[in-house]
Amino acid sequence: MTPSNTAPAPSSDEVVIEARNLSKVYRDFWGRDKKAALKPLNLAVKKGEIFGLLGPNGSGKTTTLKLLLGLIFPTSGEAFVFGRPATDVAKNERIGYLPEESYLYKFLDAEETLDFYGRLFGMPPEERARRAAALIEMVGLGRDRKRQLREYSKGMTRRIGIAQALINDPELVLLDEPTSGLDPIGTREVKDLIIDLKQRGKTVVMCSHLLADVEDVCDRIAVLHQGELKELGRVEDLLRVTGVTQFQARDLAPAAYDAVRKVLAEHGASDIEIGHPRTTLEDLFLDVVRDTEARPGRRAQAAATPDKPAGA
Amino acid sequence: MVLEEEIPTFAAWFGPALLTFLLTAALVILFVGLAAWVVQAVRDGPLAAGDRVYRGVLTGLQDLAGTSPRRVWALARLAIKEALRRNVLVVLGVFGLVILFAGWFLDPATVDPGRLYLGFILAATSFLVCTVTLVLAVFSLPADIKSKAIQTVTTKPVRTGEIVLGRFLGFAVVGTLLLGIMGLAGWGFVVRSVQHSHEIASLDVREVRDEEGGLTGFEGRTGPGRGHRHFLRLDAEGNGVAETFHGHRHPVTAQSQDGQLVFEVGSPAGILEARRPLRGTLRFLDREGRPAAKGISVGAEWAYRQYIEGGTAAAAIWTFEGVGEDEFPDGLPLEMTVRVFRTYKGTITEGIHGTVQLRNPSTQLRSEAFPIVAREFTIDELWIPRQLNTVLADGGVREADLYTDFVSDGRVEVWLQCLEPAQYYGVAQADFYLRAGDGSFAINYAKSCLGAWFAMLIVTAMGVMFSTFLSAPVALVSSLAVLLIGQFREFIARLFTSQVTGDASIAPGGGPIESLYRIVTQTSITLELDPTPAVQAMKLVDTVLLAPMRLAAGLFPSLATLGTGEFVAGGFDIPGDLLAAHAAETLAYVAAFCIAGAFCLRAREVAS
Ligand SMILES: Nc1ncnc2c1ncn2[C@@H]1O[C@H](COP(=O)(O)OP(=O)(O)OP(=O)(O)O)[C@@H](O)[C@H]1O
Ligand SMILES: [Mg+2]
Repeated sequence: MTPSNTAPAPSSDEVVIEARNLSKVYRDFWGRDKKAALKPLNLAVKKGEIFGLLGPNGSGKTTTLKLLLGLIFPTSGEAFVFGRPATDVAKNERIGYLPEESYLYKFLDAEETLDFYGRLFGMPPEERARRAAALIEMVGLGRDRKRQLREYSKGMTRRIGIAQALINDPELVLLDEPTSGLDPIGTREVKDLIIDLKQRGKTVVMCSHLLADVEDVCDRIAVLHQGELKELGRVEDLLRVTGVTQFQARDLAPAAYDAVRKVLAEHGASDIEIGHPRTTLEDLFLDVVRDTEARPGRRAQAAATPDKPAGA
Repeated sequence: MVLEEEIPTFAAWFGPALLTFLLTAALVILFVGLAAWVVQAVRDGPLAAGDRVYRGVLTGLQDLAGTSPRRVWALARLAIKEALRRNVLVVLGVFGLVILFAGWFLDPATVDPGRLYLGFILAATSFLVCTVTLVLAVFSLPADIKSKAIQTVTTKPVRTGEIVLGRFLGFAVVGTLLLGIMGLAGWGFVVRSVQHSHEIASLDVREVRDEEGGLTGFEGRTGPGRGHRHFLRLDAEGNGVAETFHGHRHPVTAQSQDGQLVFEVGSPAGILEARRPLRGTLRFLDREGRPAAKGISVGAEWAYRQYIEGGTAAAAIWTFEGVGEDEFPDGLPLEMTVRVFRTYKGTITEGIHGTVQLRNPSTQLRSEAFPIVAREFTIDELWIPRQLNTVLADGGVREADLYTDFVSDGRVEVWLQCLEPAQYYGVAQADFYLRAGDGSFAINYAKSCLGAWFAMLIVTAMGVMFSTFLSAPVALVSSLAVLLIGQFREFIARLFTSQVTGDASIAPGGGPIESLYRIVTQTSITLELDPTPAVQAMKLVDTVLLAPMRLAAGLFPSLATLGTGEFVAGGFDIPGDLLAAHAAETLAYVAAFCIAGAFCLRAREVAS
């Protein structure tokens, strides 16, 4: 796992996204208020950041993204992207967007889909073909490139959605729950992709319910609750538990435990805990799949053996 | 064919048409802008609303200017793929069925099979193509909005105008493809259907000899075919024709083999034609020979044809202009359709007799009278030769030349009179014409398909426009409603002209208030109302009411006026001026619908 805070962050003060008192009230046909989905929100996202939007269902994450894209119009306040109003279409040249669910044309196949969106960016044919091939390979749909999207599984649709969002090599990527529906490998790949984007100087705004994902990749997060901004800051700062220190060591004999305990106690530490760290289920899953792909068939028996240490 | 009004030249048509278009467009823009402002003002106050409307229009125009052909084409390709993957080509199968049914049920033995088949095929083609593209256009965008696929598109650098134009273009391409295939198939079907021949048995033919017994030719009848037979007339060499019947004739040659005559009958001629008429202007003389504004009406007051009484001095007179030796070196090919109104039955199997005379409009010199027999529903041909006789004042006869004696400054008059007392001839201006030449039937057919193409373009653009802010079924119904109202467009235009010019003959009965008054007081629409102050006030109110109706009528395209099937089926070349006017009108509607659609889609939150 590559925690984001170890990645070289190309820091910049250039503001890519700015929301000023941005709010949204959904109205019905007659103009009557239905739902105040977003209370006045002030927000600035800088170039090169990975910004996470968190919050329970219906807290206004998707609404915020749509406002930033100009898909819906704010009830009050303003949104700026690259310093221009959010409703300005020209900004879309530099943006990639993955909607909540992949809203694509079901009668196109993967290649046609990417070709179509490539055309919308006015990309020349060779570049379109090259990028489409690379992206299809990247999201692992090489074998299904000629199948119509109506036949795709949920995760496959998600993958082509991600590819579609990156067709123009965007400077700003808005991802609405990018990992929903993906298998753990896909999830991991998406996280790696996001970090890779950051390393290439791109800005990413994402929302997700999978806190582990957010924690792994985001530099800063905002927490929304019922349309209101509740928390905003750097992930490290928000999660750092001051007053607790952690050590890790490999091949430490249990005999040494007491000695360590003693040393720590001498320095006035309290609530000392020593034990084996648990691997995460994600790591276990990734291990199993990788292993099986490398040596088909072997793992099934191995898994049947009880108490096989995981993560070996 | 019926031609209610003269076809203006494109140059004469364009100016007023453009003015109407600009005026209508300006009013619509003003009206919509005002409505948008009012709606916004209620919510956010007048100033903020004004600002928003202003900025909306400005950025909208900027977006229109930034339209990229590449993106439009990408979206058009998408629309084409969508149509094809929805199996739109199935409609070709339906068209195949239509042709089959036409083949089974249309009667090839009718008087004018060419007209019947052409009318049917052209109408079916136009109807099918328009319906298909309308349905495609109306269902496409709403489906995208519902499936939210539109969100992935609008977050690309795509202008709403490009989405609308792309849709329109895509479906127009599909419609063009369908029209092309159906047009070709229909053409083949019509040409094959009217094709026929006749057997000629030597028993039906007899020799014609002069007094000395020399062979001068043959005459007789052909055998039956398609429910009719022709009279036959051949010269001594065996060349001749099976004479015109059911609107066509056949070239016939006869050869003697082993002492037997063997006939060869060619394909029907004169059946699928594209006549180029030189039309004149019509005036009437009443039964005493005095000039009359119009002829007699034998039924409906404003019927298309006017009648002249037989056996009196009543005459129908056409004045043709631009008649010269260059156009008609050998004489004048006069073609005419004369209707008959009988006050007694007479010999029902025979036509009503009458005469046609030439007259010099300056010298009043008259030619001999050419006898004609009005055969009603077919076009009769009369060849007026270069050398003809003229009746002198003393009753004598002298030889005269067509151009030196009867044409002055390219003008010549043609007088029609009916000879049989108490029988009437009915004619309209378009019924007499000089056949100035012939266009190619194939090109004429293609021109008519072009008319169907225009209709398809308008319908498609309208469907796309409605689908930007209405759900699919509602958009479909709205489009149909607009087309229906469009059928009254010409009537409202005429009503308004009649109101403004005060010429009640254009559209009798007056505007809404006057009509109501006439209904309540049971006053006939032919009766002039006394111009009392009350009546004048009423007419003024009517004019005020009709003006916006007249302008609004322009919003509703009239597919009926775009249709030129009547020309092709009637055997007339579609005038280029008419086609040019239709093309301009189509362009105007398509542009207006696309721009309106772009603005509607912009104003809409596609993601909520
Ligand atoms: N088109 C709409 N019309 C009316 N209300 C809407 C509309 N779209 C969203 N809402 C409401 O706005 C609120 C915020 O919705 P939003 O989709 O932004 O939530 P979210 O944070 O993305 O939730 P989730 O985690 O479930 O995706 C919800 O209460 C929702 O019901
Ligand atoms: Mg959401």
